[in-house]
Amino acid sequence: MFKYLMKRFVISILTLFVLITVVWILVRLVPGDPFIGEKVTPQIKLNMIRYYGFDQPLYRQYLIYLRNLLKGDLGYSLKYRNVTVNKILADSFPYSASLGIRSLLFALVGGILLGTTAAFNRGRFLDYFCIIIAIIGVSVPDFILGYLLQFVFGIRLKWLPVAQWQGIKYTILPVIGLGTYTLAMISRLMRTNMLEVLQQDYIKTAKSKGLSTLKIILKHQLRNAIIPVITVLGPTTAAILTGTFVIESIFSIPGMGKYYVTAVQNLDYSLILGMTIFYGFFLVVANAIVDLLYGIIDPRIRIY
Amino acid sequence: MRIGLRLTILLSLLLVCLICFNVQGAEKIFRYSLRADCSTLDPQLANSQDTSTVAHHIYEGLIRYTGGEIKPGMAKNWEVSADGRVYTFQLREAKWSNGEPVTAYDFEYGIRRLLDPQTGSYYSFAGFIIKNGAKVNRGELPVEELGVKAIDAKTLRIELEQPADYFLAYTGFVSFYPVKKDYVEKHGKEFAADADKLLYNGPFILKEWRHEDRLILVKNPDYWNRETVKLDGAEIIIVTDANTAVSMFENGILDLVDVPTALIEQYRDDVEFYFSGADDFLKYGIDTNPYLKNTNLRRAINYSIDRENFIKLTTNDIYQAGTRYVIPIVSGVEKSYGEEYPLQFYPLKADLKLAENYLKQALDELGLNSPAEIELEFLTTDHDTSRIQAEVLQHMIQQLGIKVEIRQVTYKQRLTMEAEHQFDMVFSGWAPDYDDPLTYLELWVSDGPYNHGGFNNQEYDALIKQAIYETDQRQRMDALFAAEKVLLEEAGICPLQFRRIPYMINPRVKGLIRYYIGAREDFVTADIF
Repeated sequence: MFKYLMKRFVISILTLFVLITVVWILVRLVPGDPFIGEKVTPQIKLNMIRYYGFDQPLYRQYLIYLRNLLKGDLGYSLKYRNVTVNKILADSFPYSASLGIRSLLFALVGGILLGTTAAFNRGRFLDYFCIIIAIIGVSVPDFILGYLLQFVFGIRLKWLPVAQWQGIKYTILPVIGLGTYTLAMISRLMRTNMLEVLQQDYIKTAKSKGLSTLKIILKHQLRNAIIPVITVLGPTTAAILTGTFVIESIFSIPGMGKYYVTAVQNLDYSLILGMTIFYGFFLVVANAIVDLLYGIIDPRIRIY
Repeated sequence: MRIGLRLTILLSLLLVCLICFNVQGAEKIFRYSLRADCSTLDPQLANSQDTSTVAHHIYEGLIRYTGGEIKPGMAKNWEVSADGRVYTFQLREAKWSNGEPVTAYDFEYGIRRLLDPQTGSYYSFAGFIIKNGAKVNRGELPVEELGVKAIDAKTLRIELEQPADYFLAYTGFVSFYPVKKDYVEKHGKEFAADADKLLYNGPFILKEWRHEDRLILVKNPDYWNRETVKLDGAEIIIVTDANTAVSMFENGILDLVDVPTALIEQYRDDVEFYFSGADDFLKYGIDTNPYLKNTNLRRAINYSIDRENFIKLTTNDIYQAGTRYVIPIVSGVEKSYGEEYPLQFYPLKADLKLAENYLKQALDELGLNSPAEIELEFLTTDHDTSRIQAEVLQHMIQQLGIKVEIRQVTYKQRLTMEAEHQFDMVFSGWAPDYDDPLTYLELWVSDGPYNHGGFNNQEYDALIKQAIYETDQRQRMDALFAAEKVLLEEAGICPLQFRRIPYMINPRVKGLIRYYIGAREDFVTADIF
């Protein structure tokens, strides 16, 4: 187990190193100049380049970046001149994570319930109802769903706030907006897997042993049907927790997604890099946890 | 008796309601939104109108420029030398938010900091009018050689490169705000990064700055002119999505909102308008494209544009057609420039006959048989609206038989390509820095840093030079008007539109000023009833 963990750790570090290097190079290859502006003269641009140390050879800039990164310093943003990337991450991540965790819980609970209900009522009204919800959830883009929720519950009915992130009632619409796609995806996966598991011999054995339905569902069906869900959960968790531009913009949530997109638009090299590294780190960790979870949930899977 | 009891209960309830209403109404907080957070609130690093608008309320410069009016600020009075080059300001007794006095040294330090190349300020060009400003910024002279000097704690002397009547109003601009040297040095790079890393001398104090979420301003109890400030505070909420901002206005969360052009039909009866001061035009690659070097070809294109239809199709008739280059509302000598120098150089509708005449001349001069031999690339940004603008203009220009290809790139890439003279035609624009036609016209002098198209006309250069050094205001303005006509006659650019912004405001808010120079929203003397 220890050997596996070490191997996993080394691979993760290597993955992150490759990610940092590739993104560092790609960012520099994007056409356009980060210091250009409507009113920036060549002299002002030169002053800016010197201020940020961009007048040094590229290999040196890369080495300085790596050295600072080892100290945990992601540098200053090019757009938010007085603010470090570390501070931007520290400020924005809690909002994205809070929205992400709630959306994930909503998606997980809702998706498993919906998928299981559909599987147990195959071919009946409830099955079709769950399938329709899943199809709508997968096919309606988040920007349409977000505006729709805002319009119906915020503007017309005035039941919930239109936007911002100030308290529990402010979270309901963005959580639904962000979580519905994942909910739909999980419910479809759950339904398919549950139906598959229902055909298995060990279910028949469990039934013939006289186990209660609840026990069969929880101990035998759910546990086996949930493995593919966990597989998709790794990258989904990383993506959902590190912010989404559309939902954060529609509901004015000061999360990472908004920063990420504006960083790309502004060619804010340090912010793009910082956010990508953070996202990459999250993805690597989430995937590692998923791999470990396989072994815990299904003892047939040996991870080491 | 029973009626009396009921009446008493009813009156008591009414009284409670009134008290509640009064308690609620006691706090006068003005709420509006910004599309993006301020990139910084460091006056010398500020580089956007959002930032200068917020800075206008938490800082105060030598004067306060409000709705085209110059009012005393930190300076209680000032003198201008006979040659118009030296300004001497007497400062009033005023305090920073930490209780220390605001001095002339704070202004001297702030302005030197603006031009110091080590600061890396985007807006250092604002200080090029000050003696040695450009040289200091190029690193050719030390900052001590800059024409700004604190004579004593309360006297500041600013010497200019050349007389500039607009300079006094310009001192109200964010780049010239004071900053306290020891405070800036104490916080280093993180100065102004947060509400507690700032010092304030303006009508409001930044109580809280939740980045990309909101800025909470409260009235500054130490502001020298606090009696004129009616609001208790302001809440500036960051709302990236324009549609969401409108929804928030509808639900009473915001008191002011700009209405996107797509929603204008829905709110046409409720909107008011103001000119942002920005204008849009086509820049020609005169020095790079052999066809566009020809003046008659550029004239032909300029007359082929149906400006009326362009505005209708691209902005729902909101913007104003640009039949000239300088926005007419900018200040003239006594009245507005437009009133003193009216001009409709290009017709609202396309004049295809005239355009074809110019095209014929151009083809002869270029030795071409057919306009189809001319292929031009139309450069613009990758927004949806840019695409629509480009397609409408492409259609209009192609009526002449010229081929036009649209190329969409990112905003930063467009600016880079413009700066590197890599375009045939580019959809561009300009927002004024100070209240004078020169802010638009100085762009096109042959050695101007923003003259990316390479327009080169000796008469134009001479007229601008004359305007810069002329002390007689009427003659100066005449020279600027003559320069504008030369630019249009020579078709150095193709003017298209003046930006007119629709907005909605809570009718309870009175006294808010929206202006095309400096702060976009000025709520220093606004009130809520």
